[in-house]
Amino acid sequence: MDWHSETRDQALVATPKGTINHETADAFEEHLIPALDEAGKNNSALVINLEHVDYISSAGLRILMRISKRAREASVDIRVANLNDCTREIFQISRFDKLIPVFDSLDAAVAG
Amino acid sequence: MLVRFWGTRGSLPTPIRADVVRRKVIAALMVASGRTFADEQAAANFADTELEFPIAGTFGGATSCVEIDGGDGDFLVCDMGSGFREFGISSMERVGSGPKRTYNIFMSHMHWDHIMGFPFFGPSFDPEVTIRFFGGHDDLEQALRRQQEEISFPVPFDWLKANIEFNKLTPGEVIEVGGYKVHTIKQHHSHDSYGYRFEADGKSMVYSTDSEHKDGNETSEQAFVDFFDQADLVIFDTMYSLADAMTAKQDWGHSSNVVAVDLCQRAGAARVAMFHHDPIHDDEKLHSLHAETIRYEELMRRNRQLEIICAYDGLEILL
Repeated sequence: MDWHSETRDQALVATPKGTINHETADAFEEHLIPALDEAGKNNSALVINLEHVDYISSAGLRILMRISKRAREASVDIRVANLNDCTREIFQISRFDKLIPVFDSLDAAVAG
Repeated sequence: MLVRFWGTRGSLPTPIRADVVRRKVIAALMVASGRTFADEQAAANFADTELEFPIAGTFGGATSCVEIDGGDGDFLVCDMGSGFREFGISSMERVGSGPKRTYNIFMSHMHWDHIMGFPFFGPSFDPEVTIRFFGGHDDLEQALRRQQEEISFPVPFDWLKANIEFNKLTPGEVIEVGGYKVHTIKQHHSHDSYGYRFEADGKSMVYSTDSEHKDGNETSEQAFVDFFDQADLVIFDTMYSLADAMTAKQDWGHSSNVVAVDLCQRAGAARVAMFHHDPIHDDEKLHSLHAETIRYEELMRRNRQLEIICAYDGLEILL
């Protein structure tokens, strides 16, 4: 999975690229875990920028939930940014928009 | 293969109330907007073509019971929720004065909502009837006897006159019952549950309810994808949203609409029937969830379209 991480202000921004489904879910998690750890060490929020993600299936959403639970235990704020029309609908249908804060832009997500 | 739903609700029966019926009548009258109808057929046509399902109908409130109608052959049923009582009445009408038929009953598990119909099953009092239970649990008979102990029910199990036998199934084993090839899979649920795949005459139906796809372990998921492979119909527990199933309702033993679509799309199934509806969901809510699931399938579709059905009491699907 193509992946890019950067620090912006008080947030670690993780930017996956492509589709997140049962075939790429493991890779998604393998990138997210160290990102979460780094955010925790730096007392930063973890922003998952989905700008370049075409769609996310239940396999990907489950990974997000697992990471979200770990983030809560580690007292790390986790946020999602830049959902496209498809991923926004998926978040609504799955009710994940009620669980994980979603922001329309990266700036808004970084600012919290 | 004709599949008939006698009960589609989970947890407990949820009969419709008079005030709900009244609201439906009012809504129908508002849609009719003063029109008159020449006869009952004209009114029926209006109801069928211009009224949305939550107004003209209801998803019902009987708990899990699904029949595969084998015509004049033996009966085959999955689970004995409260819908099993009406199935029993219908079966006796169909038999009429003809030769008695065997009832082959496949049990997903013995939680109350899946066995509560049995004490009211008329054919169990007929000494010429044979009832064959199939299931993965060792304690199926114990569960049925216990719910008819005097503290819970006035008619003890030993008073039943039918020839009753219990057949233990092993996941992975394939058996032939009543003209169907039947496969069994173990599912994640409290005290375990089992799903079944029925095959006959080139058609296949999977009954997979009360199955929590917890954590999305890919090995486990692939096993279900394989089990659902190219099925003409998969009946799938969509009781909770994925978010609820992973948080507040985690370990409650149920699944969601998005998991249903993902697994069935991967399996190349033709149809999935949303099933085991949450008792807190009324007809409007279930109708809305159905629309959302259809939309999710559109968003996730990569090749073949998966037909999304929201099962209701009385639904018949001819495969």
